[in-house]
Amino acid sequence: MAKTTKTCKKCVLNSATPGISINADTGLCQFCDHFTPVTKEKKAEYRARMDALLTSPPQQGTYDVIFALSGGIDSSYTLYRLKKDYPHLKILAVQFDNGFISETALENAQKFCDLTKSTYLRLTLDQTALLDTFSKAARSKDAYPGSAKYRASDICNTCISIIKQKIIELAVSTKTPFIIFAFSPGQTDAPFITLTKPFLVWMRKLFDGNLKAMGVAERDAYLIDAAYIKAGSSEPQVTIIHPFLVWDYDKPKFKKECIQLGWIDPELKDHNSSNCLLNAFAIKNHLDKYHIHSYAYDMAALVRQGTMKREDALQKLAVNESDPSIKEVQQKLKL
Amino acid sequence: MNEINEDTLHFLKTEGFLNEKISLQENDSLTETGVIDSIILLQLVDFLENKYKIEIPVDMLTPENFDTLAGISQTVKKLRTG
Repeated sequence: MAKTTKTCKKCVLNSATPGISINADTGLCQFCDHFTPVTKEKKAEYRARMDALLTSPPQQGTYDVIFALSGGIDSSYTLYRLKKDYPHLKILAVQFDNGFISETALENAQKFCDLTKSTYLRLTLDQTALLDTFSKAARSKDAYPGSAKYRASDICNTCISIIKQKIIELAVSTKTPFIIFAFSPGQTDAPFITLTKPFLVWMRKLFDGNLKAMGVAERDAYLIDAAYIKAGSSEPQVTIIHPFLVWDYDKPKFKKECIQLGWIDPELKDHNSSNCLLNAFAIKNHLDKYHIHSYAYDMAALVRQGTMKREDALQKLAVNESDPSIKEVQQKLKL
Repeated sequence: MNEINEDTLHFLKTEGFLNEKISLQENDSLTETGVIDSIILLQLVDFLENKYKIEIPVDMLTPENFDTLAGISQTVKKLRTG
């Protein structure tokens, strides 16, 4: 007899997802069962630390911040808010062109750079090689650890890891003290990460291993240039900041504010991305391979923390199989 | 298995990072067995800091200290007696 799928009473995770168990007594998943919210005091502590860091950044290079800008709502809002709260910051906003960024996202990114007087950099890599890498990620199985499968699809993990490696390399090479990512509170737990050489060496080795497991032969272009982290090179002096673990996270409010500032909704059929055309296919590919919705963990965390309504999260997790981008991407990746 | 190893395993199981198919020995690599990556490592560090009321300096985030249960246990012990 088929097992009945149970959904957590509080968030959106269900027992059909590998690794998720629902407590028969409480009706909660293991994450909600052990959840401890961040206290007001802790948030105030984070805020004080971020203020201290960004109010007087060390003058060691041309820029104070390298900002990862996708052109979606979260990153567009963060860039605007950063310059509003810390007007003196010299920001280099980097948009990674993975070959699937919507025209509207490119336009939004440049618009918000103009608005905030930030320098815009469109980071591109060999597009044929990238397509082949995403295709390999889609065909791969278990190239990333079990934990990473809950956080993002194999395609998104690959794309995000490339962005991280290249942005860290850029920060180290330009002596920029801060890197800022607009990850949601469901996507990361650490508000601040101070980078050290041993940690970067380890990060590089791990991603190199993931790429190798996918069958990617030419990997150096996706990794931090080894020259910056070799023995004898100077310490990186870079801190990563995730402001959404410091500020309150309210996406509908951010969207409203962004639209007022001129942000254009690309109106993609995918519920989970407002910038990347690869996303809907990546979600479907991940579901087919592992029976895990790559946004479930993120959405569940937002619901658990009280920053998203449960019904909104459930709606976002409904896969739109008829999204035409799924077929288009499949053809482009030769799958 | 000592208390620190048991707490670490409990954390990894509770958070869904360790399934029943993986049987970890003290000197198995947590990254090579696919249990953690750099992001999970930071969550684990946060857990250990809160659990044992210690501060783990960032320059200690190395495979020698955090890629095995034995390394984690030794590192935590060192910092507790610090």
